[in-house]
Amino acid sequence: MAKKKVFNIGNALSTGLEETITAAHNYSGNLRVDIIPITKIETDPENPRDLSITLDDLRNGISATDSDIVRKTKEKSSLETLAASIKDQGLINPIVVYKNGEKYRLIAGERRSLASIIAGCSDIQAKILDVKPTPLKISVLQWIENIERTDLTLWEKLMNLEKIISVFSKTKGLNPVEITITELSTLIGCSKPHAMNYKSVIFGDNSIKEMIKENKLKNLEKAALLTSIQSAEVRENAIDACVNGANLKKLKMISTLGTKKTQNKIVHTDNERRGRQAKSVNFGATKDIDVAKIIVNSVLKNESLSHLSKYFDDIKLDNFKSITDTFKLLIKKLEELHAK
Amino acid sequence: MAKIIVNATHKGGEGKTTNSIMLAEYAALILGLKVLVIDMDPQANFSGRYIPMEYDPANKGGKIPSLHPDYNPDEDLNWDGRSTIANIFFGEEVIPYPTSIPNLELLPSHSSKLQDAEAVTKNEVLEKVHVQLKRFLDLPDVKKAYDIIIIDTPPSKGPLTIAAIKASSHIVVPSQMEQFSIEGIYGMLQLWKQESYSRTKDNPINLVGILPNQVRDIKLHKHFLAGLSKMNGVGDYIMPHLIKKRAIYTEILVEEASPKSIFDLPEKNVARKEYESACSYIMEKVLNG
Repeated sequence: MAKKKVFNIGNALSTGLEETITAAHNYSGNLRVDIIPITKIETDPENPRDLSITLDDLRNGISATDSDIVRKTKEKSSLETLAASIKDQGLINPIVVYKNGEKYRLIAGERRSLASIIAGCSDIQAKILDVKPTPLKISVLQWIENIERTDLTLWEKLMNLEKIISVFSKTKGLNPVEITITELSTLIGCSKPHAMNYKSVIFGDNSIKEMIKENKLKNLEKAALLTSIQSAEVRENAIDACVNGANLKKLKMISTLGTKKTQNKIVHTDNERRGRQAKSVNFGATKDIDVAKIIVNSVLKNESLSHLSKYFDDIKLDNFKSITDTFKLLIKKLEELHAK
Repeated sequence: MAKIIVNATHKGGEGKTTNSIMLAEYAALILGLKVLVIDMDPQANFSGRYIPMEYDPANKGGKIPSLHPDYNPDEDLNWDGRSTIANIFFGEEVIPYPTSIPNLELLPSHSSKLQDAEAVTKNEVLEKVHVQLKRFLDLPDVKKAYDIIIIDTPPSKGPLTIAAIKASSHIVVPSQMEQFSIEGIYGMLQLWKQESYSRTKDNPINLVGILPNQVRDIKLHKHFLAGLSKMNGVGDYIMPHLIKKRAIYTEILVEEASPKSIFDLPEKNVARKEYESACSYIMEKVLNG
């Protein structure tokens, strides 16, 4: 008998259909991605700019009388690579704008807009917000945009983040350092450990921030680890290792070993030591016979022990052994007494 | 404000034009609404149902509409007497044609002009094609004159289809229950998703649904329909009315057919009942959200 035929819509197609519907439901109305004419884009006057070249310079050509002509020409040629890739591949990430009357104000993507003009495009793909976002939203959006840039240094990231934290704390009426890890991670959409690393570096030791600024330290995890080392000496060691190319694992080792050493130094004051519980007191040892004599003599002369003096009358404290024996005898007698 | 329905899928032969005809005639004949039909397909089949089309002397195989009934060669010196939807891409005036159905008007296709519009360069396509139909249909005069506007699209995902989707408030995707057709649905859903991202909350693009068309009593069709209906989210968009493959749906398209419209058949006719319930489902969604 012939096998019963069953027809299935292929797995890939089914998944594709389901995902498309879900994606359409999740984002429509909140996130508008559209193609807009480049002529309608304007930069945000409230936003500090890194570039001196403007959209108008590219639309109309840089004026020969422009005092910035040298700098602007240089900037223009630096945009040529991006322009060539846009011409070739199209724009990969849409720019981000908000609607300002008939125009669109840039939140992120000035370089991409400039390069698109050079590439000869008359329109550009953009994520559009319908109203002007709050300063906090703007800085967060710029953060999200920038984070994908490969040429962004850790220092630039930290500076961006510091701005976000300061705007955030202002709106909440808090001190910047009071921002919680949860708040920070929700704000910038990263994991809590990652947010914690950012926070500890931003509010941490200046010498480490200085290294990041000089681009000697490029890795956030390393920076956070170095910041977390309390002992100046250990940190110094770890920084040295880091500059010499130690990986995160090595740095962690240095940090833990160093910290153990520090723990030994403070053993006497540390009541909450780990390990087996102490069941006896060790009075320690000394190689200085005079110190030993002083201790034993002052104990024996103590009035509260006068009732034991009969045991120690004929003892001579002139060598290590006799002093040790005397001390042991004293303890033994006292233990007998207290046991009763 | 007129609701605008586009019948779209980039695969050919799924029933876009037939479905456009059915919806237009249902809205005009049964619901008595003021209807404008727009033919964006260079093949011009939809136009040919309502007005005589002529072969274009300048473009062999292409079609142009016949002279407009209001055209008077002695008065209209700056007009060649023909008006098509393609005019909007060339900054020209558009004058709808009346049809034999009193409250149904047509903006016919013009094969070569629509093809020209579709051939503009990538850099200009947005300004010159994508937004033009929307601009035209957003004109207060146009919006006020009609209750329902129905757009038929070419079997492609090109600029004309995108222009139609951008201008619409509702999308209907007719589809056979076959492999290539369902792949076509996927392509259309991409366009719908993309367009829905570009809409504001008060001006959404609604997917009315996928209309299973030309369904036969075979395992393949049944299994695919059941498979689609079971899918997460997708199932909600499979219309609960399906259209079977019937000779009558193609017979009424013949020029000298009588009756001319499926809605002229007796109310109890199986084919009429079948398409009428699908049209009623779509119109209910379009008119009452």
